[in-house]
Amino acid sequence: MFTRQISLSAPIFLIIYLFQEAAMNQFKLPGGGFSLFVIFALVWAVLSTPEIAALTGFCAGILMDMSQSSGGPVGQWTLIMIIICYAVSYLGYGDGNINGNPVGVVFFVVSANLAAEVLFIASGALLGVTTGSFGQVLITLLGNSAWTLVITPIVLPLFSYLHNMVFETRAL
Amino acid sequence: MRYGGEGRTRLLLIILIVTSLFLITLDLRGVSVLDNARQGTQTILSPFQKAGSVILSPVKNFLSDVTHLGRTRHQIEKLRADNAKLKASLLNRKNADAQLKQLKSILDLAGTAGYKVVNAKVISQGSSQSFSQTITIDSGSNAGIKKNMTVLSQTGIAGVVKDVYPTTALVMLATDPSFKIGVRIAGTQQIGILSGRGSRSGSLQLLDNLTTVQVGDVLLARGSVANRPFVPGVPVGYVTAVDNSAGEIAQSGTVRFYTNFGGLGVVAVVVGAPVNNPGDALIPPKPVPTPIPTVTVYVTPSPSPTK
Repeated sequence: MFTRQISLSAPIFLIIYLFQEAAMNQFKLPGGGFSLFVIFALVWAVLSTPEIAALTGFCAGILMDMSQSSGGPVGQWTLIMIIICYAVSYLGYGDGNINGNPVGVVFFVVSANLAAEVLFIASGALLGVTTGSFGQVLITLLGNSAWTLVITPIVLPLFSYLHNMVFETRAL
Repeated sequence: MRYGGEGRTRLLLIILIVTSLFLITLDLRGVSVLDNARQGTQTILSPFQKAGSVILSPVKNFLSDVTHLGRTRHQIEKLRADNAKLKASLLNRKNADAQLKQLKSILDLAGTAGYKVVNAKVISQGSSQSFSQTITIDSGSNAGIKKNMTVLSQTGIAGVVKDVYPTTALVMLATDPSFKIGVRIAGTQQIGILSGRGSRSGSLQLLDNLTTVQVGDVLLARGSVANRPFVPGVPVGYVTAVDNSAGEIAQSGTVRFYTNFGGLGVVAVVVGAPVNNPGDALIPPKPVPTPIPTVTVYVTPSPSPTK
């Protein structure tokens, strides 16, 4: 069952990663824009068990680290995404008010996205990654959160459907 | 918090975190396996990025126009009437024309200084998720591009080559917070260091406390040893504000880059530096005000009044 879920999840992750790198990165949106791939990974984590969420964070982080536009060393995004994905799943798993409610999922995704960015800045400071002036960082954080707040409700039905398709298909 | 946190999950979490810390350590120690993995990923992604750039260029132009609506409203209104007839054909040609114009300007700039350049199209804007300002261009080591080469736009410096792959290269834009370039002020030859700030303006720090800088002063690249990462004489920007704080050891200021980083379509990588330093030859001409034509009308009174 676990192998089957991974084999179904992997192509979905790769397609969305490819879409992010080939299409979404073409646009320079005001306020820093958003990352569809991060939103996808966080939605996936919110809807999953902590175990799956940690693995989701690991896979998503590795792919983000492999992106050439990733600013930090390989492993930085991996570490951040493991922690964030596990945390959102741990806090929300089994609570119908959170993962059974679209508003709760959106709130968790936006908060987790902001937390991931803050963690990136904090860990980047330790690892020697320059992130710009305070004002610019603040604009990016606010802009990124605002974009995530706008985009997540739009893509949530699709991502939720894909998650259900992978994890709720019963074996014949 | 209803999930109990089974032992297996905790073990998995620890293993994953240790793995990521292991990867960070390997990368910071410069293990080439990880560089090769990134290079391999980029090699796989570059055809998709090129396809995405071609397919999405009309949408990209539209979004760019929307972003700059406030600043170019006057220009848009002026062009709206003319565009009505040409809208259909312009939609297809707009992108190509803009790139051609940029390319011509870049070649003029490079030709004046005697730079040997390789032209390249921008195929991807870097993600701002990592707070870095980068672009990906469609030429790489196969075209002779190497790491730490100067990248030019049509009006001046665009950035520096950060990473090179066989068919693509990653360019760190001059707006990147970690970007630093040695500059000199045209005419007075004072030197300083210009740093990116994440936007189109940069921070200038003069090195000599006896010299002064003024608003409007033009900055040029001072050049590096063996011309890498920076060739000399490239226009960088002009001073827009000067900080005369008493506590400062030397003057500092704010500089506006000549390059419009939001509209980069074509760039040129300097693969060969000129034999002679071009000096101040590349300073962009100041805009000349358009003369307003005056019309004088002479009226000669007729001999007899008209009925």
